[in-house]
Amino acid sequence: MATRNRTLLFRKYRNSLRSVRAPLASSSLEMASLTGTRSGVGPVIEMASTSLLNPNRSYAPVSTEDPGNSSKGALTVGLPPAWVDVSEEISVNIQRARTKMAELGKAHAKALMPSFGDGKEDQHNIESLTQEITFLLKKSEKQLKMLSATGSSEDSSVRKNVQDGVDLEINLGRNRYRPEEDDFGDMLNERQMAKIRKGEELSIEREKEIQQVVESVNDLAQIMKDLSALVIDQGTIVDRIDYNIQNVASTVEDGLKQLQKAERRQRHGGMVMCASVLVILCFIMLLLLILKEIFL
Amino acid sequence: MVLVTSVRDYINRMLQDISGMKVLILDSETVSNVSIVYSQSELLQKEVFLVEMIDSISASKESMSHLKAVYFIRPTSENIQKLRYQIGNPRFGEYHLFFSNLLKDTQIHNLADSDEQEVVQQVQEYYADFVAGDPYHFTLNMASNHLYMLPAVVDPSGLQRYADRVVDGIAAVFLALKRRPVIRYQRTSDTAKRIAQETAKLMYQQESGLFDFRRTESSPLLLVIDRRDDPVTPLLNQWTYQAMVHELIGLQDNKVDLRAIGSLPKDQQEVVLSSEQDAFFKSNMYENFGDIGMNIKRMVDDFQQVAKSNQNIQTVEDMARFVDNYPEYKKMQGNVSKHVTLVTEMSKLVEARKLMLVSQTEQDLACNGGQGAAYEAVTDLLNNDSVSDIDRLRLVMLYALRYEKENPVQLMQLFNKLASRSPKYKPGLVQFLLKQAGVEKRTGDLFGNRDLLNIARNMARGLKGVENVYTQHQPLLFQTMESITRGRLRDVDYPFVGDHFQQGRPQEVVIFMVGGTTYEESRSVALQNATNAGIRFILGGTAVLNSKRFLKDLEEAQRISRSGSHMV
Repeated sequence: MATRNRTLLFRKYRNSLRSVRAPLASSSLEMASLTGTRSGVGPVIEMASTSLLNPNRSYAPVSTEDPGNSSKGALTVGLPPAWVDVSEEISVNIQRARTKMAELGKAHAKALMPSFGDGKEDQHNIESLTQEITFLLKKSEKQLKMLSATGSSEDSSVRKNVQDGVDLEINLGRNRYRPEEDDFGDMLNERQMAKIRKGEELSIEREKEIQQVVESVNDLAQIMKDLSALVIDQGTIVDRIDYNIQNVASTVEDGLKQLQKAERRQRHGGMVMCASVLVILCFIMLLLLILKEIFL
Repeated sequence: MVLVTSVRDYINRMLQDISGMKVLILDSETVSNVSIVYSQSELLQKEVFLVEMIDSISASKESMSHLKAVYFIRPTSENIQKLRYQIGNPRFGEYHLFFSNLLKDTQIHNLADSDEQEVVQQVQEYYADFVAGDPYHFTLNMASNHLYMLPAVVDPSGLQRYADRVVDGIAAVFLALKRRPVIRYQRTSDTAKRIAQETAKLMYQQESGLFDFRRTESSPLLLVIDRRDDPVTPLLNQWTYQAMVHELIGLQDNKVDLRAIGSLPKDQQEVVLSSEQDAFFKSNMYENFGDIGMNIKRMVDDFQQVAKSNQNIQTVEDMARFVDNYPEYKKMQGNVSKHVTLVTEMSKLVEARKLMLVSQTEQDLACNGGQGAAYEAVTDLLNNDSVSDIDRLRLVMLYALRYEKENPVQLMQLFNKLASRSPKYKPGLVQFLLKQAGVEKRTGDLFGNRDLLNIARNMARGLKGVENVYTQHQPLLFQTMESITRGRLRDVDYPFVGDHFQQGRPQEVVIFMVGGTTYEESRSVALQNATNAGIRFILGGTAVLNSKRFLKDLEEAQRISRSGSHMV
């Protein structure tokens, strides 16, 4: 498929226009500073012109003129909001969980192979890996919930989409995680048979292990339930970009209306009235008290 | 596959080289282009966390400089204006501009002028300027589609804009395919001729460097034809799945809006019918209504089996398996209810409008002869109270198109009867249609009664009988494609532009129908491509028509030409 890159032409125009704009701008600054404060006229012009001629204007030094009337103010690269860090942390956790799952797969394979030893350390390894993975997934889930904090309306749609994206990743990860559980169950049955033959004290251990499996299945069910509410159905209307744009537009408008209503209600609210009346009364009482002290 | 893949490739390329969180900004046309081939979840995987329209983004004041803006818009002057303002007051950290068609130098100059803060990182042209609904079918979704019916003097600037948009769309298709075609057009249509000539000028003179692709053995063919050569196809009622949904309910950008229809559960009010994402739809979109019913029943049975096996969960393994299969199960359930809902609604409409009866007569009018019998049948249906106004209008139009010259008295009688029975009918509409698309205006042999070979073929078919009375109609496009396949497309009827010439048969053909295509025609193209005759056909149009849309265009054109004649 054909494309055409117009960036060079664009940059050429931009540079030529910038050089045309620069002398004009410095002359206008001269006018502004002449009509402004008389002191420091010289240094202002000098600094301004050097900052304009500086090619890396995105980190231009703060000029001494009033930033309000400067339209060519430096574009400061804003810090992303705090929740971006949370989402990045979640991605990192999911990555870690994925590598651990790969390890777990290897450990399973190793444990299922016939070996000379008791296989106890393999079991421990598997258990610890499983617990770590569950812990990581739970932590990601908690952090996901944290993402739904208050913020501006537009920010919230970005946040919601980030949430959906992370959900996708978690679900993709989960689908790979679940098969491992079955293997573990199978393996347990084998060991179950062996242990029954061995005796009663081993049957207690078996009970413990069954408990652990039940617990992990319960955990899994719980997490699945929580996250399945946020699953994106592929191929349905919810997965269409144009549908989401329309919905965002209407919900943002609705949200604005609600906010305005809330603001109005709060202002005319009885609470504010009450509070202010009480405060005024307090002041009056205080005044009376002082007057009483003075005239007594 | 080929059109859908091109647009998806363009979008992938746009997003993959830009790291970090992105916001995608579209305009009202590119949002259709993108939504029909790319899903929201795929965007999320590419770290696009916000999608906005270029119109609404101007209103907001909030600055989100941790996001990188990716603009994908058409290079119209309105868009450039809005873009200039937004670059001058940047809200995002970086700006990457992608235009769906060719930029003029002045536009680049203006943008560079506004980019005082140097936030624009790249300016590219990615030619995804069409809506690729199906693998071999695209549309331009144009609003004022009726302009092609009017002579140029009525609205010269409007027609110029129309032609420009079409030329842009066709150019984008060929740039996406990386081909430069030989161009032919339908002789009898002024609009088609104009578009063909302007496309040739663009590809061979103005931007000949851009279109200078590697020459293959045989050049592809672009054939520009006019809707009015085949006015019958959009008027007919349809019985194959995709065409039927569009005819009875309406399919826009592969979405069906069911909100007007009764009370449906929330997730079934708007549904998606895309052959890419829905395997059942892909295998049934060209099947007729009876077969669809059977296939849906089979699908429902399969689903019930799965649901039953999910009911008895005895062991932990069963539970695990259920949890494993749950997403698949949910998806299947949604799909099954979607198709069942659609087919139910369509059955209800067929029943209410008595479409079985009406459509039988329609097909007879379109395919078989016998003027007397046809007149009787149409008169009967006009007298029938349960037939709706639009169906009556269609019947009279089909009759008029076929028996324009035979028995004018009876034709007049039908006009009068129609006017008296349908209060909402705008008088003179049928005559207007005849003026636009009557037998003198048409090039192709629409009813197979022009040359002896076709007459003989029709007689043979009549004797043999047809498999299905309701789907016996073949659009004229089918014959055109056959002629091209045999290398027998007549130069007299479809001349070449300028000094183009083609030896032998082309291997790729793009047929552009000015005035719009129908899903029946796109089905014909898809089936033709499936026969692997060595030629790949792609169909495109200014819009996708159903009978309602075609009639609306006719009415609009009639209204304008009437008010024009008053002024003159």
